[in-house]
Order: sequence, then C-alpha cells, then structure tokens
Amino acid sequence: MVDYNNLTIKEAHEGLKNKSFTALELIEESFNVAANSESVLHAHLLLMQDEALANAKETDKRILKGEMLGELDGIPISVKDNMNLKGYGTTCSSKILANYISPYDATVISKLKDKGSVFIGKTNLDEFAMGSSTENSAYGPSRNPWDPDYVPGGSSGGSAAAVSVGTALGSLGSDTGGSIRQPASFCGVVGFKPTYGTVSRYGLIAFASSLDQIGPFAKTAEDTKIIYEAISGYDTRDATSLKLKQRKLPEDKSAKVGIVKELMEDGIADDVKSEVEKVIRLLEKQGHEIIEVSLPMTKMAISIYYLIAPAECSANLARFDGVRYGLRIDGKTSYEMTEKTRAEGFGDEVKRRILLGTYALSAGYYDAYYGQALKARNQVVTEFKDVFSKVDYLISPTTPSTAFKFGEKTSNPLEMYMSDLCTIPANLAGIPAISIPTGLDKEGMPYSVQFMSPELTDISLLNFSSYVEKLISFKDTPTKWRREP
Amino acid sequence: MSKDFNIQEIAKLALIELNSEEQSKLSKDLRIILEHVDALSSLSIDDSNLTIHPLGIELELREDTAEEGLSHEESMKNAPDDKDGFFQVPPSMD
Repeated sequence: MVDYNNLTIKEAHEGLKNKSFTALELIEESFNVAANSESVLHAHLLLMQDEALANAKETDKRILKGEMLGELDGIPISVKDNMNLKGYGTTCSSKILANYISPYDATVISKLKDKGSVFIGKTNLDEFAMGSSTENSAYGPSRNPWDPDYVPGGSSGGSAAAVSVGTALGSLGSDTGGSIRQPASFCGVVGFKPTYGTVSRYGLIAFASSLDQIGPFAKTAEDTKIIYEAISGYDTRDATSLKLKQRKLPEDKSAKVGIVKELMEDGIADDVKSEVEKVIRLLEKQGHEIIEVSLPMTKMAISIYYLIAPAECSANLARFDGVRYGLRIDGKTSYEMTEKTRAEGFGDEVKRRILLGTYALSAGYYDAYYGQALKARNQVVTEFKDVFSKVDYLISPTTPSTAFKFGEKTSNPLEMYMSDLCTIPANLAGIPAISIPTGLDKEGMPYSVQFMSPELTDISLLNFSSYVEKLISFKDTPTKWRREP
Repeated sequence: MSKDFNIQEIAKLALIELNSEEQSKLSKDLRIILEHVDALSSLSIDDSNLTIHPLGIELELREDTAEEGLSHEESMKNAPDDKDGFFQVPPSMD
C-alpha cells in the first residue's frame, strides 16, 4: 500500500522507478482517497477511474521495459473542469455546458499525455472561473479538507482540495485574478501562476483572455516546477504564446527581497501580516537584503480588474448562444432562443459580470471605463518594472485573511472580490506569482505567503520558493475532512 | 463617471433575459461595483499608453496555410439541433 501522506511527485517518481510500488497501486490509492473523501469535499465533477487504471497499467509496462517517460509518468493529476480533455465533458461548472463533450485536447492536456501522466478526474470550480469560493458552481460547492465548514477558495477550489487531501499529486488550475493562488493558500498547498504567455491557453475555456493563465497545484514548489516545465512552451494555437526565453535571478542568500508596503496595510488581517513577517525574519536570518517597496497602483488593482475582466468576459461568453453547443432553450426567434438560453444557463455571478462588461464597453462609456482601466493597467506594469530594478522578488500575503466560512461573503459581491486584493496585481502585470503554505491559524486553517518576480523568471521563482519552503518547513496535513460537516 | 444605466437596455445588449427580481438585484449590485471602480476616474494619467498584452509584446500569427482541424462531424457533434450538416436555429424574425 502506498502511503499518500505528504507524498510528493518527486518521491512518487522515485518509488515507481525503484519499484517500491507500481503505478497501478499508486492510482488505486488515489481512488481510495477519492472514495473516502468525495462525499464530504466534492472536489471533483468527474472521476475517470477506468481510463486512469488502464493508463497506470501502461506506465507499469513502460517501467518494466525501462522506458519511463520522465518524472510525470504514472503520476495522478486532476484537471480543472474548464480545460478540454477529449471525450469527456467540460462543464465549467455551468448548466449551459452540462452536455458538452470535448472534441479535442487542450495543449496542456496533450503535453501531459505525452509525459504519461494519469488523469484522475475533472475538478470543481466557480462557474466559468468567476468566484473565490466555489460557491458559484452550478453543481454545488467543494469543501476545505482542513475544515469542511470553510470554503476551499476559488475559483480552482476543487483542484486545491484534491491536492490537499491527496486524490491527486498535482492538479491544473487557471488563474485570472488569483484563482490558483487563493485556493492554494486556503487549502495549504502550493499554487503557481506562470508568466502570461508561457503556458498555452488553447483548449482553456476563455474568461478574460488578457489575464487567464493555466498553472499547477502541488504539495511542493519543486513539484509545481516539474508540472510547469511539462506544460509550458510556445504554441502556434495560442496567438499570445511567447517564444522568449527565461531569465535567471539569484536563487540563494544573495537574492534581494522587497516587501510590498500597500499589501501590508489596511484590509489585511493582523495575523496574516504577522505570518508574512515571520517569513521575512527567516529570510533576514539567512542574510537576505530586504527592503520595503511601494506599488501605489495596487490600491487600484480591484477597480482595474473589475472593468477589464468583465469586459473581456462579456465578449468571450457571447459564444454561448444555444446555436453550436451547450444548452438550448427554445424560442420563437433565434434572438429569443439565445436570451432564454443564457437566462437559464448562466448563474448569478456570470450574469453580473457579463452585464457589467457589456455596460463598460457600451457606446458613451467605453473610454471612461474600459479605456481608463487599460491606461491604469499600464501604470501597474510600469510600477512593477521600476520596483524590479531594485529587488529580485516581492513578498506579500496571498490573501487578506485565511479561509472563510460558507455564506460569509455571498451577500455583497464586492466583499468576495476583495479576497483577491493581493493576487490581482500579478495578473494585471502578467508576471509570475506563487503561494506557499507557512503554518496554521488558531482555527487550524492554513496561512501562506506570496512571492512575485519579473516576467519570464518563472524557473528562478520556483527554485527560490523551494529554498524558502525548506526554511519554513510546513509539514501538516488536513485531518478534519474525515468528519461530516 | 455616470452610474445612470438602464438594466433592461444592458440585458438586451447582452442577450440575457432577466426577470423583474433579477433586474432589481443586479441593478443594485452593479451600482455597488460601479461606485467602487469610480476611483479610477479620479486618476489623472498623462501617459496615453494602453496595456492590452501585459508584456507589451506583438502578437504572432502563424503562416496562412491550411492545417488539419476538427472534422465536420466532430464540429457538429455538440449541436443542439442540426439538419443536412448545418446548425439549425429558429427564424431571426417573427
């Protein structure tokens, strides 16, 4: 029997290579964990047991022949249900795509298939990745393994919960304003948002195209690096895909770290600030040069984001019209059909953002709203560039507080939006950012820190994060999910 | 910036039918959000550069040559209604 507790991708790979266990045993243990936890956590919308077991047997054959495909061969991975995996549903947690079957693989899926990864299932999310708690899923929320009374975060909450409880050793999420890092923080795992353009978005159902980025969840920064290296690279099928090479930053004691002043002020819980300060002290002890830096435009980040993201979403989601795929509600005319289909198929938050975006892009308001937001976004980019001429990495909280309880932030949309206060700036600037777990609060819910670095320094950020992780040494695993909420 | 809007007009542009309960709830929500984002109007930004691609990189187009994509059959597989290999929809006008 494989001991899943704290097992990493790296260790699982060693175990498979040394024949300590087989890929079949590893995948069977994944489904054992799922069988025990899904009734409480609801991390998945789909489990793919038959295909996964068949693929594990293929890995075992390769191992016997000495032809392993690399570190991800036979590794159980789950995928957020807004990425196309051929032959299976891609619901985006929306009623409008309830019956949609993917006719092709997303580029990230093809790349992982080439590496022999075993797909365990599709994970739950806020509808069309719009939300911070999975409470906006049309198929019911996921729960936090550290305490099922709390949300797992969102929108990639199912992926975070799945890695945290151990159904998968890695998972793919998407991050538009924090949708990988915030749930990673709430569930005590590592979540990484890469530089915009380094991972192909082909096959990811678009929400806000200039902000969306696919990235990995895993238990360690080293594991997220293994997945990132497998899924990144230029892709002709994504017009925003980058050909540019990575730059190297100092990854040891010589690295200069900046504390983002505006993300350590009002709006951030005191205990969260103390936890970040704890990590800063650990770095100081190692001899790092640490300075406070100012990014004044981060105060405007939520406002910029909630004009740009809804504007892009209103255009992207226009494709769900009941004509070519998905739900159709009949109407006398094609317009009536589309209006009724969208009324029935979309949930409240999706409607809210489409309407907001439609308004911000409408004649007479375009320049004042969308145009002004694009100019302000440019200021954010410029500020980050200036700051990164002084430091290598930035440190901040990932979230203003630890995980919150169900229903706590559902009455006022702005309150929910504020939970992405610290994560949105990296999306606006297109830079890489990572959340690393650091400890537990007095309720037993995970704390974390966020590190950001300049564009195209993803690998250095991941190596530096591995180094910081060793200083922090967070080893706890969730246990409270074993009781019914 | 103006916060005067007609929710029915926006819903019509967005092609989403809203019932009266949704109209009043969503109007209230949109007002709260627009009030918040209004902070941007107070910014005086001299620089007229806009950020569309966050890294300011020119988008690259592939060569204009035919590539294999989905087959006709695969493209039609998710159609709610089709006839003779076409998507079928109700008439545009009554």
